[in-house]
Amino acid sequence: MALPLPPGLTPAEVAFLCEMEMVTVVPRQQLKSHDLLGGPTPALRPPHRAPLPLWLALLLKRQRRANIVPPPWLLRSSLERILKEETEISPTAFSRPPPHPHAISAIPSATDHKSPPFLASSTADAPSGHLPYHWLELGEILLQACSDDVSEPDKVRTLLRDLREVRMAKMRSITKHLEGGGVVSLEGVGAMEVAEGRQFVVGVMDGLRKLGASREAERRRREEEGGSGDGNSEDDDMEMEME
Amino acid sequence: MQDISDILEDLNRSHDPYGADNYNDGRPSGEADLQALTRAWINERGTVELLPWPKDGLIERVTDCVKTQIEKVEELTGNMEPKTNFSLIIIQTEVERWKFLIRSFLRARIEKIDKHTLHYLSTPELQARLSEMEVAYATRHQQLLHQHYLSSFLGSFPQNLQNLNDTAGGISMISGPDEESGVIARGLGSKDFPGEGVIVQGSGRDADSQVEVVRGEVVVARWSDVKEFVEKGEMELV
Repeated sequence: MALPLPPGLTPAEVAFLCEMEMVTVVPRQQLKSHDLLGGPTPALRPPHRAPLPLWLALLLKRQRRANIVPPPWLLRSSLERILKEETEISPTAFSRPPPHPHAISAIPSATDHKSPPFLASSTADAPSGHLPYHWLELGEILLQACSDDVSEPDKVRTLLRDLREVRMAKMRSITKHLEGGGVVSLEGVGAMEVAEGRQFVVGVMDGLRKLGASREAERRRREEEGGSGDGNSEDDDMEMEME
Repeated sequence: MQDISDILEDLNRSHDPYGADNYNDGRPSGEADLQALTRAWINERGTVELLPWPKDGLIERVTDCVKTQIEKVEELTGNMEPKTNFSLIIIQTEVERWKFLIRSFLRARIEKIDKHTLHYLSTPELQARLSEMEVAYATRHQQLLHQHYLSSFLGSFPQNLQNLNDTAGGISMISGPDEESGVIARGLGSKDFPGEGVIVQGSGRDADSQVEVVRGEVVVARWSDVKEFVEKGEMELV
C-alpha cells in the first residue's frame, strides 16, 4: 500500500497536474453545464469561447466536440522572443516567468496565494512572451492532441526543443551555486524541469551537505561561543572545486 | 466519526494553512477543495517528513464528495440514453482524477509512517500530525513488528537489550527522517505582510544567509529552513 516512490513528483504526475491548467476552447456543439466535484463547468454554446481544464478540453477535442485555442505564448513569434531572451539577454538565468495574474491589493483575497496549475496562465488571454510553469508539458500535450489547432506546429515543436536544451544546460549549471548550501533561486523554472532535475540537484545538495557537515557544525559551535562570529573569515584552502 | 467532527470543527476556527480560504456558504467550494487537496498532495510528495494531517476536515470532506458523485453516476447509469452517456464519461473521468489524488496522498503518508513508525509515535506533538486512523494503523504496525522481533530474536536477548527505543549512550535508536534534506519550494507570498515575500534563513556550510523568496519564485533549500513556511501556507513544495 505504501507509495514506493522517492520524494518529488514523477514526470507522469507532473503531466497529470498540468491537465488541471485552464485552457480556452471553441465548442463545435452544445454541451450543458456539468456539476463536477471541482465546481460547475460552463455551458458550451458554439461559437462562444469558454475556459475549461485541460483534461476536459482534451476529452472534447478527441471526440471532435471542440477545438482548443493555443495560449498566446505558444505562438512562433512569442517562442522566438523567449528563445532570444534565454540565449542572448540572460544566458545564465531562466527567462522571466509570467507576472502573477492576481495583483495584491490592500484587502487580502483568496487569490493572493494561488499557484500553478490554478493561475490560468495558458488561456487565450494569458500574456505572451513568458513561459508559464507548465510550459513544456502543456506545449507537448497540445502539439500531440491538437496540432491542427496550433499554427505552424513544426516550427513550434522545434522552438520548444531548442528552449528545452538551452534551459536544461542552465538547470545543470546551478549546481555551482549549491556548494555552500543556503537558498538557491531557480526563478522561472518549469515543472517538468524540476521533476527531471530534482534527483540530481537534491542529490548534489545532500551530498555536499554531508561532506561539509563537520565544518558546518564546527562553525556553529564557534559562533555560539564567540557571540556573532563571522562565518566567512574561515581559511579558504579547504574550498572544494565544483568544476 | 461523530465525536471527532467536533474536534475538527474546533481546529477549523484556528487558522488553517492548507485549507481553502474562500468560503461562500459556510463550506469551501469544490474549486477551493481541489486546490487545497492538490497542494496537500504535492507537499506530501515533496519531502521526507510527514506533514500535519490537513485540518478543516479536508480529506474527510473530499472523500464524501467522491462517494456522493459515484452514487450519482450509478443512478445515471440506470436510465442510460445516448445523451447522458457523454456526461457520464466526463463525471467519471473527474472522479477518477480526484480518487488518484486522495489515494496517492494517503499512500505517500503511509510510506512515511511505515519508515519511521516509532518516531511519529514517540511524542504527542509528532503524533498530532497523524489522523486518528493513521495513529491506529501506526500503533498496530509497531505492535506487530515488535511481537515479530520478540518471537524471532529479541526474546533470546538479555532483558536490558530488548528495547526498541533505547537512548543509552546519547544515541537514540529511534530514527527519524532527515530534516536537512534538500527540497524545491515555491514562495506564495507572506500572509502577515501582503505583497511581500518571506525571509528564509538559509543555513549553509560556511555562512547562513537571509534570502527573501517572493511570490512565485522557486528555490532549492533545506527542508528544515522552509518547513515553517510550508506549514503556514506561505510556501509550497513543488
